[in-house]
This record gives sequence, C-alpha cells and structure tokens, in this order.
Amino acid sequence: MMKTSDPKEKSLITKKDLNKVFWRSFQMEFSWHYERQMNMAYVYAMIPILRKLYQTKEEMASALKRHLEFFNTTPHIVTLILGINAAMEEENRLDKKFDEKAIDSIKTSLMGPLAGIGDSFFWGTLRLIATGVGTSLALQGNILGPILFILIFNIPHVALRYLFTGWGYKLGTGFLKKIQSNGMMDSLTLGASIIGLVVVGAMTASMIDITIPLSIGSGEEAVTIQSILDDIMPQLLPLAAFGIVFYLLKKEVKPLSIIGGMAVVGILGAWIGIF
Amino acid sequence: MILQAVLLGVIAFIAQSEYALGTSLLSRPIVTGLFTGIALGDIKTGIIMGATLELAFIGSFSVGASIPPDVVTGGILGTAFAITAGAGTETALLLGLPIATLTLILKNIYLGLVIPTMNHKADNYAEMGNYKGVERMHLIAGFGLSLMLALIVSISYSIGNNAVQSFLNVIPEFVQTGLTVATGIIPALGFAMLARLLINKSVAPYFFLGFIIVAYLNIPITGIAIFGAILAVIIVNIMNFTKKNEQSAQTTDGEVLDDEDF
Repeated sequence: MMKTSDPKEKSLITKKDLNKVFWRSFQMEFSWHYERQMNMAYVYAMIPILRKLYQTKEEMASALKRHLEFFNTTPHIVTLILGINAAMEEENRLDKKFDEKAIDSIKTSLMGPLAGIGDSFFWGTLRLIATGVGTSLALQGNILGPILFILIFNIPHVALRYLFTGWGYKLGTGFLKKIQSNGMMDSLTLGASIIGLVVVGAMTASMIDITIPLSIGSGEEAVTIQSILDDIMPQLLPLAAFGIVFYLLKKEVKPLSIIGGMAVVGILGAWIGIF
Repeated sequence: MILQAVLLGVIAFIAQSEYALGTSLLSRPIVTGLFTGIALGDIKTGIIMGATLELAFIGSFSVGASIPPDVVTGGILGTAFAITAGAGTETALLLGLPIATLTLILKNIYLGLVIPTMNHKADNYAEMGNYKGVERMHLIAGFGLSLMLALIVSISYSIGNNAVQSFLNVIPEFVQTGLTVATGIIPALGFAMLARLLINKSVAPYFFLGFIIVAYLNIPITGIAIFGAILAVIIVNIMNFTKKNEQSAQTTDGEVLDDEDF
C-alpha cells in the first residue's frame, strides 16, 4: 500500500485482508443448515473485512446482521461474491450515501448464476474426471487412485478459489466507481432488488419440497391430493408454506418457534398419513 | 478393537471436516476407504472397497439444498465391516447402509433444528455487534457435526452392525417421514427472511414473477437469474427514461425546444 496517497482515495482493504477472506472461505459449508444454509460461514469469511471497516458497535451489528441472511452457492468459487461484497462494504464505509441494501441484493442475485456455472463445472466435470481416473486405479488396489482423485479435483479448485478473491474485489471496485460517477446508485439498487426477488421467487418454487401423496377415492377412481393441487397451480404448497412463514415473521413469531412448528406439522402429518 | 474404533472415529472426524477444508472431497469413500484400510491393517482391500463404494455413492452428492445418504459413516463403516468380516466388495455397501440411514436421520435433526438454534444465537450476538460470538457459533456448529459423526462411527463399529439395524427398527416410520417432510419445508423460512429484506410494494410482483415462471416452466435458477437481469435492465431503463423526461420537462419549461423527445 502506498502510504503517501490521499487517504480518501486510498482503499482501506489490503491484500492481506483479502487473503484472510480467501482462507476463511474454505469453511463455506462447515455450518451449512436447512434454514439459511451457508449464512454463518459467509459472515465468518467476511469478518476480517468488517473488522477492518467498522469500528463502532452499531456499524458492526448492522453489517453482521446483513450477512447473516440466507446464502447458498458453489462453495469452491464463493470468493468471487465475497470479493465483490468486500468492495461494496468498503464503498459503504467511505460513502455515507451508499445504499446498504445493494449489498444484499447483489449477493442474492449473484449466488444463483454462480452456482449454475460452478455446480456444473465442479460437480459435473471436474469431479467426474477425478472419480474416473481415481477409481480406475483404486479398483486395482493402487494407492495412486485416492491420491490422484484428491489432486485432480483440488489443484484447479484452490487455484480458482484464490484467483476469484482478487478478481471479485477488483470487479466490485471498478464497477462501483463507474456506477457512482454516473450517479446511478438508485438504478443499481432497484435493478439488483428486482433480480434478487425474481431469484427468491424461483427458489421458493424449486427448493421448498412439500407434497401430499395421499389419495382419495379407490381403485381406478383414486386421485392423489397432490394431482388436484397441481391442477390448480403447480408448486402451490411451497408458495403457501412461504406465505405462512412470511406472515408469521411479520407477526414477529420467533424463527425457532416456526421451525419447531414445521417439525410438529411434519410428524403429525406423517402420523395421520397425509405425507 | 477399541483402538480401531477410536481410529475410525478420527477418520470420520477428519472426513466430515472436509467442509472446513474447502469441500475438498475428503469425505468421499475412495479417500476414507484408504484410511480405513490403514487403520485396520489391510490397505489394499481398503482402497478397492473405497473405490467400489465411490462408484455406488456417485449419485449421492449434495447439490443445492438436498442432503444425500451420509457417505462419511456409510463409506467408513461399509469398508470396515467388509474388511473385518472378510466379505466381498458387494456386501460393503449393504453393511454400511443401515448406519448411513440412521446417520441421515440424526444429521437431519442436527442440520434442521440444532444448527438453526445456534444460528439464532448468532443473530443475537450480531445484534450486539459481537463478531466473536458469531464466529464461535459457526465453529461450534461445524465441529459439532464432525464430532457427532465420529461418535456414530466409533460406537457403531464397537457394537456391530446388527445392533444398529435393530435400533433403527425401533424408531417409528412416521417420525422418520415427518422429519424428512419438515426438512423439506424449512428452506421456506430462509427465503421468507430474505424476501422480507428485499421486498417493498413496488418490487413485490417480481417475487411472484420468478415463482410463476419456475412453477410452470421449470427453468433452472441460472436461467431465471439471467431473465431477471435482463428484466432489471429494461425496468431501470424505463424508469430513467421517464425520470429524464420529467427533468427535462422541468428545466426546459418555457424554453424553445427542438428536442426530439418532445
């Protein structure tokens, strides 16, 4: 870092901070859970950045809270989003007019596409190559099998994970500078929240899994309740589940009570035989 | 016997900790088979069994929100029982399956109820700006699961496969089904919290747009995100266009104009 440059122009985040984010990103799936998936690991990886930028308790609290929201993507290249978010947090610290919501929206709108590319590359292509080479050797009892399996997968993985950290940060800062000089921050926020909500709607339809296979009537006449519901609208039950939870959250029911309620509904429903 | 059980537990602990090591595939049977072979003193069989199980488990992989049958306990114990029983490679999977099933139930409870509880504790710490507390919750959640799997492997190996099977038979079917149903619904909570953050009256329809498209047309999330991005550009352009018109209408009011916008 150049110490002589204008403090306002100087970036607060150093290479060292980004390296810490890189190392911490290895734990992206460590605390994975059903409710908000990778959220705790995401905060964990962002904390070196947040500590650098926010000194007051209030600033730290609001930054921690915004990164504790739902997050899920391909873990190996999550550093791209972490890098972009780091640049945005820095901008947020330097520019009082920065809209914090943009940080969430960008995150939400990027995780889907990145997972689409990442899952097919890492799980589809790279893992299959590693498995093919590894198992063909290992089936003959050759110890090179497991070793090559790990190396083939992880050498490209770690290289990409590292490169994406710096790349994401540069992408974030460059993009933000341009947006700001155009005075287009409002447009970015609006645009990002549109993408974000379209994606949340899409995930509601595809990632909440609830069906009622119970059939009514008998013999040839039997129809399942699910097929009736599908005729009304596909994925009606996930939407209803989302709606009920959304309403309960609005009524300030505690999220933990909601989870408990889901377990009770599931077990009772299975007991009387509707699931 | 006890030493071997402990060693297998350690292997399970490290294997599950692949999720702290960049999801680097350490938990796959081809890797755990090698280590199980080392622990039980039959490296070659371990490697071969591991590769066989790897191919059997190839479809079971966590992509998105689904959790597959547990490969850590299934892989390690399948290999271990096959080595100690001197059984063929085909039986390895069969022997590992009851424990993989039992583990899946326990894991679902852990991932669906226990970690969310810690997550809400982390929310409280965040509220106070206590980043150390948040970090602690993340680490405890992760190591807790590694420890749980280690204990399952050690105990199961000590008491043997038959005991695990009979324990599994005691749990009523509807409890297992019910918990599976619950874990399918729990993501609704994460999405609802996220939506509450992004939503306001002017953008609410876009949530339903995304939902309807996927519900009826079954397009993958990537496609939807690209669609959303294009839509966002269009909407933003329209907004800016109207804004610009309003502005120029104000500033040029009363002036003579030859602007083609008018």
